[in-house]
Amino acid sequence: MNGIVLEDASVRLGEVEALRDVSLTLDARTTAVLGDNGSGKSTLARLVGGLLPASSGTVEVLGLDPRRQAAELRRRVAIVFSNPDAQIVMPTVAEDVAFSLRGDRLRRAERAERVTAALERFGLSDLADRSSHDLSGGQKQLLALCGAFVRSPELVIADEPTAYLDARNARHVADHLLAEGAHRLLLVTHDLALARRCESAVYVAEGRVAAVGASAEVIAAYEESLRW
Amino acid sequence: MVTLYRPGSSLWHLLATGRKALVLAALVLAISLLPQAWGRPTATIPAALCLACYAVPGIGLRVLLGQLVAMRWILIVTAVGQLIFLGPGPALVNTTRIAALISIAALLALTTRTTDLLDAMERGLSPLSRLRIDPQRVALLLAVTLNTVPALTRAAGQVREAQRARSARPSLRRFAVPFLILALKHADELGEALTARGVR
Ligand SMILES: Nc1ncnc2c1ncn2[C@@H]1O[C@H](COP(=O)(O)OP(=O)(O)O)[C@@H](O)[C@H]1O
Ligand SMILES: [Mg+2]
Repeated sequence: MNGIVLEDASVRLGEVEALRDVSLTLDARTTAVLGDNGSGKSTLARLVGGLLPASSGTVEVLGLDPRRQAAELRRRVAIVFSNPDAQIVMPTVAEDVAFSLRGDRLRRAERAERVTAALERFGLSDLADRSSHDLSGGQKQLLALCGAFVRSPELVIADEPTAYLDARNARHVADHLLAEGAHRLLLVTHDLALARRCESAVYVAEGRVAAVGASAEVIAAYEESLRW
Repeated sequence: MVTLYRPGSSLWHLLATGRKALVLAALVLAISLLPQAWGRPTATIPAALCLACYAVPGIGLRVLLGQLVAMRWILIVTAVGQLIFLGPGPALVNTTRIAALISIAALLALTTRTTDLLDAMERGLSPLSRLRIDPQRVALLLAVTLNTVPALTRAAGQVREAQRARSARPSLRRFAVPFLILALKHADELGEALTARGVR
């Protein structure tokens, strides 16, 4: 089954055409998205994540139409953003993770069990009852990941998830995102070393796909464009 | 003001959220209905009730003290106002009554997880669904609003710091515009994060 398929997809944001006639088929388990500031990377991530509609063309994610099958998409696709502060919804760590399961009508015990397992996996068990707003930036971003992964998503979209972090925390977050598992990953990043760890990559320039393929080749093409 | 909930296993923690809210609401109502004309008992009864509520094992009077310190400005303003207009006797009675009232009401937030509060609110508000108001949304709105306070406090700090770094003299307008922009940006990002986490 195809992961992400775009056909002539365009996205208009006010006066700006942020994506123009993008056609893509992404099948690899992990894909990096590269490009300059304002090139349309976040727009691509939002389009795939169903947060924005295409103004023309078609989008298919995990075999779903992100707009018409939005509820199903939400269940199977998780999104992580850059700013850890804007992703926290609940006052304590465990409650924030549990928030992701609210819509799922799970039994209380099952909810608690899944939250505990997710906290464990992200090394947050000791912080379960701590105030989520008092965590460090790195811990907050791990909490955001934990809130995303607790739903066992099939696809994780991450838009510059390490942008606000120091090298150590960035590494930690990246390791979790790239860990072997059942999920696919679409990772927007400016960190070329991190992009290299993905199987494939897309290079976006001025709202168009400038290169797509194996990550090593696409990164080389992007670096070439930086040369002059 | 930031996170009010204190984990614990006191009587109040163990009481089911809905029942707890009813008990506390009844106490608050009773205290506010005590007639002014009774004089001193109008202060001593609320004070005694409040002490009794906090004296249960697992909470304690230190927590009450913390609450009183946190609301000191409200109490001072009330006391001064009453002192000027009504004199020392009524000022003491009313300020004590208000302190007891707020402290008792605060027990709900202090001993209930936001998650449980959300669940209870959804159940309590479910009659609203007949008016086409979605109780889930109302409960969520309240929870998110409470949780936005720390983020906005931080944003305000950032704006003030940035201004100090450029040694701009503090002014309300110079503060308000960048703060508003940060607040709107936060609202935007939070809205997207909520959608991404399954809130419709
Ligand atoms: N809400 C918006 N309204 C109008 N234009 C926008 C909006 N968001 C982004 N843009 C514009 O769309 C283009 C692509 O933005 P974006 O996808 O965020 O780029 P990137 O993530 O690669 O930095 C930019 O020119 C940006 O200015
Ligand atoms: Mg971006």
